Amino acid sequence: MDERVVRELERICGSDGIVRERLELLTYECDALPYVREEPTVVVLPGSADQVQQVVRLCARENIPFVARGHGTGLSGGAVPVPGGVVIGLSRLNRVLDIDIPNRRVTVEPGVTNLEITKRVAPYGYYYAPDPSSQQVCSIGGNVAENSGGAHCLKYGFTVHHVLALDAVMPDGELVHLESAISDAPGPDLVGLIVGSEGTLAVVTRVVVRILRKPESVRTLLAAFDSIGAAGTAVSEIIAAGIIPAAVEMMDALAIQAAEAAVHPGFPPADAVLIVELDGPEAELQELFPLVEHICHRTGATSVEIASDESQRARIWKGRKAAFAAMGRVSPSYYVQDGVVPRTKLPDVLNRIRQLEARCGLRIANVFHAGDGNLHPLICYDEKVPGQAERAVEAAGEILSYCVEAGGSITGEHGVGMDKREFMPKMFTEDTLEVMQRVRDAIDPQHLCNPGKVFPTPRLCGEVPGPYREHPIEKAGLGERF
Amino acid sequence: MVGSIDSLLQSPVLAGAMARSGKNADVLDGVKPRLVVEPGSAAEVAALLAWASKERLSVVFRGGGTKLAWGRLPEPIDLMIGMRAMNRVLSHAHADLTATVEAGATLEEVNAELGRYRQWLPIDAPDGATVGGAIATNDSGPLRHRYGTPRDLLIGVELAITDGRLVKAGGKVVKNVAGYDLSRLVTGSFGSLAAIVSATFKLLPVPVSFQTLIAPFRNGDSITRAVASLNDSQLEPIAIEVHMRCVGRAFTARQAAREGPPYDDDTAPYRLLVRFAGAPAATVAQATQARALIGTGEVIAGEPESAAWRRYVARSAGSADTVVRINWLPAVLPQVLGLVEDLAASHQKVELMGRAAGGAGLLRLEGEIDWQASVAEQLRARPDVVRHVTIRDAPPDVKRKVDAWGHLGAAGTLASAVKRALDPAGILNAGRGPI
Repeated sequence: MDERVVRELERICGSDGIVRERLELLTYECDALPYVREEPTVVVLPGSADQVQQVVRLCARENIPFVARGHGTGLSGGAVPVPGGVVIGLSRLNRVLDIDIPNRRVTVEPGVTNLEITKRVAPYGYYYAPDPSSQQVCSIGGNVAENSGGAHCLKYGFTVHHVLALDAVMPDGELVHLESAISDAPGPDLVGLIVGSEGTLAVVTRVVVRILRKPESVRTLLAAFDSIGAAGTAVSEIIAAGIIPAAVEMMDALAIQAAEAAVHPGFPPADAVLIVELDGPEAELQELFPLVEHICHRTGATSVEIASDESQRARIWKGRKAAFAAMGRVSPSYYVQDGVVPRTKLPDVLNRIRQLEARCGLRIANVFHAGDGNLHPLICYDEKVPGQAERAVEAAGEILSYCVEAGGSITGEHGVGMDKREFMPKMFTEDTLEVMQRVRDAIDPQHLCNPGKVFPTPRLCGEVPGPYREHPIEKAGLGERF
Repeated sequence: MVGSIDSLLQSPVLAGAMARSGKNADVLDGVKPRLVVEPGSAAEVAALLAWASKERLSVVFRGGGTKLAWGRLPEPIDLMIGMRAMNRVLSHAHADLTATVEAGATLEEVNAELGRYRQWLPIDAPDGATVGGAIATNDSGPLRHRYGTPRDLLIGVELAITDGRLVKAGGKVVKNVAGYDLSRLVTGSFGSLAAIVSATFKLLPVPVSFQTLIAPFRNGDSITRAVASLNDSQLEPIAIEVHMRCVGRAFTARQAAREGPPYDDDTAPYRLLVRFAGAPAATVAQATQARALIGTGEVIAGEPESAAWRRYVARSAGSADTVVRINWLPAVLPQVLGLVEDLAASHQKVELMGRAAGGAGLLRLEGEIDWQASVAEQLRARPDVVRHVTIRDAPPDVKRKVDAWGHLGAAGTLASAVKRALDPAGILNAGRGPI
């Protein structure tokens, strides 16, 4: 990169707002999908929206690509640097700007973590609904980019259902304020388009989210089944009874075993456990929760444990939320995907995964959001065994194919990023991809805003798709995966 | 550029499609479309658009026609594409709580089909309104409090683009972040970007029982306090409506008697409607708690309850002169109510039907044309109280005096860039806006 440009970036962000040291730059070479890496040329850490705007303007003028980055917890390589480009790290834009309880909204900068919002409004009896498993560390800016969901999105929706407005620096450097259709802004829902566009349309500098009143009651149960099919039947019957649970999570035997080894949540040994959570007015739960319990028994639950207090509930959720990290207890490495299938296709697709497991010789644990059909197959492998990593990648690809064939999606919440862009043609026709690309070209005609993500492109030199490898941060014991 | 009707009617693209010249019944704000075509399939819609692009024919889509006159006065319309022949529920995956429906199906048709499995698409709409129209306008009503607007329930669309291509974005699963969300892009687009040919929605179970608390209030302060106490509580209604009727500065019982009340015993100027739904005992319990909390009102259930809501929703689509859509921050409700009172000159009539908790609603105006037009201006002059003031529907004389959409700002510039990409010949929507 031209020294002149670097000096200008330094002038904009200050000498402590620019990273050029090789060792420091390594922090930014990947997100939480560490197999796709690219060493950044330069990273800037702007401290204000104005600085973000100046950086983007400079990039637009000099025709330099840029990549916005939150806290780097993405699982699809969406924040991987572009060769010769600028990484705009938004971690310093981490202020909660306004907590407006009477109007049930909070205004934050993109570097604020998801959980921070709930922490700040909890004293007033409110919370922010989207709860990705990484909520302690992931940023709202990243949530907006990925349209993050979480365990409770069956009932409460995704990030796009909770963003009222945002400020964004567009690829030409213009700073705009956009209100979403939730706020009745007339015209096409541009906020709805930008949320989930994986940083390819804008750099978001401020987000207004709505907060919800805490439900009066929450009740959680853990049911064990001796087959995934039986657990699936229980889910179907709960839905058929007209009940929309706040969350329905399922784990299979291997995932249970891993969670037990890691965090001892007290899950019974079973082929499948189901976590069902209802929330709402007490009167409603008194009526519906026994019905859920009854359905679990009727569909063959071998045990049903009802969380009697908040600590028991927390223990059950700990078992679920730690499931990814826990895989380390049963396998040296794993590769995770997040395909989605219509809920009714879950048993069929899980069967196919079982057959695949037998065929490829790798163990596959399944942890998933059963309410909305979002799978998280964790493919276990050992890097030290030649060929296993490659087989894991192939198996993951095959699972995504099952999802598409079942009428589902290649990604429910992790995003396409660089990881799954080659699968896009399996899901969308060439015409559809071309029209999406046209929308992108209308907003980013120079192709500077996070290029190389979402849309299928020929693979870059030296870039190999591959499974999970330990991130340097994890290796150093500085962080863990959720 | 554009040929005669006869030559257009002979175009091979119309072979097999139901095509005719425009009639008086097709007139939209004084503009008669030259040609009206009712395609029967997505492929036919796409072919029509490719042809219209090539011939530079201006195109307006028509669903049930309930919202056709919203927005600006139309420029000349060459081709009106009626979508009502495409009215099938293509699939109802009831166990997955999703359905794919053609854009020309009405919400009644769709909900009748979904109701077989006690499921519904909870979108308030006037009788005859289609799914495509609901998406294109993102119109909503009281149920929005719980279920959101159409964009919140939409999980996939099939669009016909002006170059004749059919594209499917989103999907049939409720959770899906692959690719750009073209579904949301077309919500609120008023047919200006592409034709919506079918859509996939996530569905909800139809609640087993409904209970509504109707409470009258004498003044804005007391109803505001009631709304605040509901919002602070942990009750979970599916709708909270503030209904206010002003003639001059006071609602008169005589007026109500003459026009027929929107529901029984309609005498007070302010009325709060709080609707609960769900499991039977819980619904009764919540309505009882709400009554205790507010300290006034009557709880209704059963057929009278559903009839009251049908009448209420029908009012919002009724034959008032001008209907203005407004949005406000929930906490400024008292100022909104004050502003509405101020707007009602002594002989004019204003009615507010507002989603009290979310801060969105409709103002129905009846009175002199000049006054109706001035109301939109007066509202736009108070951004401290109301935002996104758009004229939903109005007599042509009002639309000539005041712009239906107002200034869209940066959003307008961006949306126009997207429109140029998807409709480079600029054939769609006949200038009715918002882009």
